[in-house]
Amino acid sequence: MGTFLQQLVNGLELGSLYALIALGYTLIYGILEMLNFAHGDVFMVGAFLAAGVAAVLVHNEVAAVPAGLAVAFMIVVAMGGAGFLGVGIERVAYRPLRNANRLAPLITAIGVSLFLESAVQVWVSPAPVLVPSHALVPQTLIHTGGIETPFTGLLLFVVAVALMIALDAFVFRTRFGSAMRATAQDREAATFMGIDVDRVIVVTFFLASALAGMGGVLFGLHYGIVDFFMGYLLGIKAFTAAVIGGIGNIRGAMVGGLLLGVLESLIGGFISTQFQDVFVFLGLILVLLVRPQGLFGQPLTDRA
Amino acid sequence: MASVGLAACGSSTTGTAPSKPDKVQIAAEGPFTGDQASIGAGALQAIKLAVNDFNKAGGVNGTQVQLLIWDDQHNAQTAQTLQSQGIADPTVLGIVGPMNSGVVLGSVQGLQAGTPPLPFVSESASNVKVTDSGWSVAHRVNARDDAQGPADGKFMIDQGAHKVYVMDAQSDYSTALADQTEKYLKDHSITTKRDSVKAGTKDFATIITKIQSFGADWVYFADEGPEAAPFVSQMKSHGLTIGQNIQFLGTDGEEDSSIITTSQGAYVGAYATNITADPAGVSGSAAAAYVTAFKAAYGADSVSKAGPFYGSAYEAAQTLLQAIKNSPVNNGKISRTDVISHLASDTFNTIFGSVKFNSKGDVTGGGIYVYQAKGTEMVVLKQVSG
Repeated sequence: MGTFLQQLVNGLELGSLYALIALGYTLIYGILEMLNFAHGDVFMVGAFLAAGVAAVLVHNEVAAVPAGLAVAFMIVVAMGGAGFLGVGIERVAYRPLRNANRLAPLITAIGVSLFLESAVQVWVSPAPVLVPSHALVPQTLIHTGGIETPFTGLLLFVVAVALMIALDAFVFRTRFGSAMRATAQDREAATFMGIDVDRVIVVTFFLASALAGMGGVLFGLHYGIVDFFMGYLLGIKAFTAAVIGGIGNIRGAMVGGLLLGVLESLIGGFISTQFQDVFVFLGLILVLLVRPQGLFGQPLTDRA
Repeated sequence: MASVGLAACGSSTTGTAPSKPDKVQIAAEGPFTGDQASIGAGALQAIKLAVNDFNKAGGVNGTQVQLLIWDDQHNAQTAQTLQSQGIADPTVLGIVGPMNSGVVLGSVQGLQAGTPPLPFVSESASNVKVTDSGWSVAHRVNARDDAQGPADGKFMIDQGAHKVYVMDAQSDYSTALADQTEKYLKDHSITTKRDSVKAGTKDFATIITKIQSFGADWVYFADEGPEAAPFVSQMKSHGLTIGQNIQFLGTDGEEDSSIITTSQGAYVGAYATNITADPAGVSGSAAAAYVTAFKAAYGADSVSKAGPFYGSAYEAAQTLLQAIKNSPVNNGKISRTDVISHLASDTFNTIFGSVKFNSKGDVTGGGIYVYQAKGTEMVVLKQVSG
């Protein structure tokens, strides 16, 4: 039982990272009905920005400024940088194709993804890069009722859940959130209602990408290492989580992410690490067979 | 054969000087960028140095050897594409590399099918199939899995291991090696549990929980390297401290001091075995002179960043270049068929002493060395065998 609960906790921590990234896929799909394949790489760039700030502020394992301040800088730079990167990608690679064949932006998205990976590999580092997490966050191991988790794992979970709740409130409780939902429902009608659709799309890309940037910060602090290829696998997993939850649905992405993390952890822990992905994607197929729209459906977009 | 070469050159030049080939190329192949650049980059530096040194000493009868750089990024398909240029060009006489067993096994048939076949000397591919499959093109200077696995198993038993968590990274190299080690441990009544991680894995929490509930006193991880730092770093943050409540033995790719830095010190105390000698860790004036030359070429801290194969890469390049030099020149051309027969028959002078390949293409008496992470360095402890 102790091991089961421990694996559950392991899964929730990994799953909260999936969920943060899944939110980005789902937000953008909800508004534009397009798969932003570059999203996993925006997360990777965010992680590298955080690692860069950490490298500037931490020397010989000692932070030059108070650790909390250093982490705050990392968050601002990573979220801001990733956010603007997302907006830039939309402007350059997706907006010109908004009325083109549906496959066109998918292809440019894959192009952007490869570009970002190669750019970081060539210009930043082909080898994994250290994030000096020991100088930035406590390295304590938290024990409760026979379950252990590093502080950073708890941090990952708490921050991710808090951001999800905040995003949910933003989309469902604010005026701008209504504009987003209106745009998702019917872009043309939203234009007629006086909604600046372009602005909604830009803000959506910024939000989605900034969340990925935050994911990058948390990843660096928890795992202590980042590399140019990290966004690929995590991006695919997060996309899977978004589909399980019902792509386009914010709460679905959160639940899908956590569920995927827990599934992976339990399968890896009790069945086989080798067949982990086999079972995970088998699960995806089963979910889609029973509920093609995903667990939570698509209340934000009922077109198509 | 030599007389044929001399007769051919007699028409164009006078005297008895050895015939000069028109063009000689060799290729360096390995993961020079990408996730395994920490293994490949140092090996490439060594090969460049070997070619430079060889050219300074006169090259092949006065012809400078040109080095092609084939960065296969640990991918057999990329390797095939790169190799196809070499197979088509008869002046490409051999390859130093490929470094990864999986790349060799995925591309060797193409090399063997070339006309003539394109030989290679690997500095690090250890899977037994590399030389056990009867390919005349296949050579390597490093020791094999079936020597390393038992040596690794014996080392852990000698250190007092009772329960060993054996892991591989789902590659031709790591799976075969972990199999060998696990078999040795089981044959010696050690309790083992086997697990496997995908290359690129960053989250090890699930596996660490399994290690804890299994109650392992040793973790054995056959891996090319990239997974080690996040793994040991998370072991520590989950309460498994190497050298205190757990011991860790890694393999070649993990004989890499950069893991100490990228794991923020969690790797200190870990052991790793290497299938090649570290020139800085063995006796012999040639090896010492090489270390000095390497530092002079690439900087004082270059050796500690060069990864596990900067010695064997130089050694492999030396054997290939000498085999080429020993081959006859006909009408300005050297045939790859002759290079292959000289690789098989000749004895070569290298930084590690004289080297000869057996009929399979393995070196006789390739050693296994144990290293330990101390401070910021991997320090050689001793030579071991199974």
